[in-house]
Amino acid sequence: MPSRIEVNDVSLRFRIYRNPSPGLKETFIRTFAPKSGDSGAIEFDALKNVTFSLQGGDRLGIVGMNGAGKSTLLKMLVGIYPPQSGTIHVEGKITPMIELGTGFDHELSGRENIYLNGSLLGRSFKQMRGLEEAIIEFSELKEMIDMPIKYYSSGMLGRLAFSIGAIVDPEILLLDEIFAAGDAHFVQKAMGRLLELFSNSQIVIFVSHDLEQLKSLCNKAIVMHKGKIVNQGNPEDMIDYYLEEIVAAQYATAF
Amino acid sequence: MTFLEQDTPTASPTNRVLASQGNAEAEIGDFDGLAVLAKAGPHDVNPEPVRKPSFPVYVFRTVNELRFIKFAFFSFVVNALRRRYQRSVLGFAWSLLSPLLMMVVLTTVFSILFKRDPKSYGIFLFTGMLPWQFISESIASSCTAITAAEGFMKKVYIPKIFFPLVNASTEFINFCLSLTSMIILALIVGMPLHWTVLLLPAAMVLTFAFVCGVSLAVSILTVYFRDFQHLVRVILTSFFYLIPIVYPLSMIPEKYQPIFACNPFTYFVMLYRALIYDGRVPSLYEWLMPAGIAFVSLIVGFYILMKREKDIIFRL
Repeated sequence: MPSRIEVNDVSLRFRIYRNPSPGLKETFIRTFAPKSGDSGAIEFDALKNVTFSLQGGDRLGIVGMNGAGKSTLLKMLVGIYPPQSGTIHVEGKITPMIELGTGFDHELSGRENIYLNGSLLGRSFKQMRGLEEAIIEFSELKEMIDMPIKYYSSGMLGRLAFSIGAIVDPEILLLDEIFAAGDAHFVQKAMGRLLELFSNSQIVIFVSHDLEQLKSLCNKAIVMHKGKIVNQGNPEDMIDYYLEEIVAAQYATAF
Repeated sequence: MTFLEQDTPTASPTNRVLASQGNAEAEIGDFDGLAVLAKAGPHDVNPEPVRKPSFPVYVFRTVNELRFIKFAFFSFVVNALRRRYQRSVLGFAWSLLSPLLMMVVLTTVFSILFKRDPKSYGIFLFTGMLPWQFISESIASSCTAITAAEGFMKKVYIPKIFFPLVNASTEFINFCLSLTSMIILALIVGMPLHWTVLLLPAAMVLTFAFVCGVSLAVSILTVYFRDFQHLVRVILTSFFYLIPIVYPLSMIPEKYQPIFACNPFTYFVMLYRALIYDGRVPSLYEWLMPAGIAFVSLIVGFYILMKREKDIIFRL
């Protein structure tokens, strides 16, 4: 089945609560004496009227400054944030490679964490049993795999997390600034695997600050600024636009 | 809460807050076009129907969604249990030992106070105490189930019902362990064994259903009112004395009996006492009341979840 993503006029506004959850006293005061204090919330648009659509074969790069809404957009596609207005339509299974290793339980062995993490990615126990050996082999953690992962080095944890995420060819791949941890040898191997994932997935959405990499891997790009898509087109033009219009403007105001 | 502003961009901040308190219903209604989407989750984002799912459909979908992460569910429960007793010398024996020690204290005090035989009073006490500990512990600890999982929920998509349910299940398994070992211990001490203990699983299922509903509700309410968790603890502590745990219901004067009949917890505790201590089959009324209460608590829990699910993540 061909994959497809349609994001139509999606907006998301965060309210930052000085006190995220007001407590009974404040709620009481606000309800019965609304004039006596402010609402205590600062608002900003994390995403504003974002519209784009992708189909099989598209590799979309997203560029933007920190806080432009890139990661929020990916998290919204995964389902973490429900959109507050607009619609998202996704056909195909999304494999997020954002926040790798979330849900690792440090008291459990590497092997158990493979199952736990796989389950959180929506894979069945049976499926994971089939993948277990391949994951262990790719991560090169054979001797350590039955040891609690609290004894792993951070490089080893990174290897395990990457291997679990990258073992299956996804239909839709979401990548957020992933750079494999580990020694030079593993990084090289992981990059090789990432390139494979890029060519095997139907749709890839790639968020990166490595503009050269983005230029070589993507065939479409969007530039985001303050929650809005300010431009879209082919990667070369977009990167030029980003550097000239947005980054330069930022420097101009800074000095 | 936040999209109200989009409809009324001119409203002043204070008015907005006021309006959002009063119009909670209408506001959530606006959400529904998107409800379907987020509900379907990451792997099956449902395109067409932009209609609001009815309540039974919603419940079915929510429970069905758990199927996909049942291994994670299982493993969270096991780890929670394991972590609780980890590195303690006696390990799981504490699930028996801690209620036992507590009971020794209470038995000593109250058997003197009420002038009763310590042995039979001890058994009388544990049939009330263990279920009550299960109910109160799960409710109290479920308050923070969602708020404590904030870091988790902002990184991976996971149904909101997951953590309250993990919490209730963990306590339930703990309860099963302590109840079994207590019964065995009581038999050794010389409690007569009644065949009615075979009906215990039915009572346990009812209690579990009740606890799940309440856990779900309190875990969501705590997201909105963090004070709630402290309030709940105080309320639960006072309930310990309002339920016939340390004294029999028959000790209560006739005119106060209706007050006890209003206490939902009593019905659950009394089931265990009838089955283990009295060795009689509870009447139909004694079964239907807790069943009804459990049902209502599940409805309330799921209803709050349905209304608030989309908003929770923005409140953490």
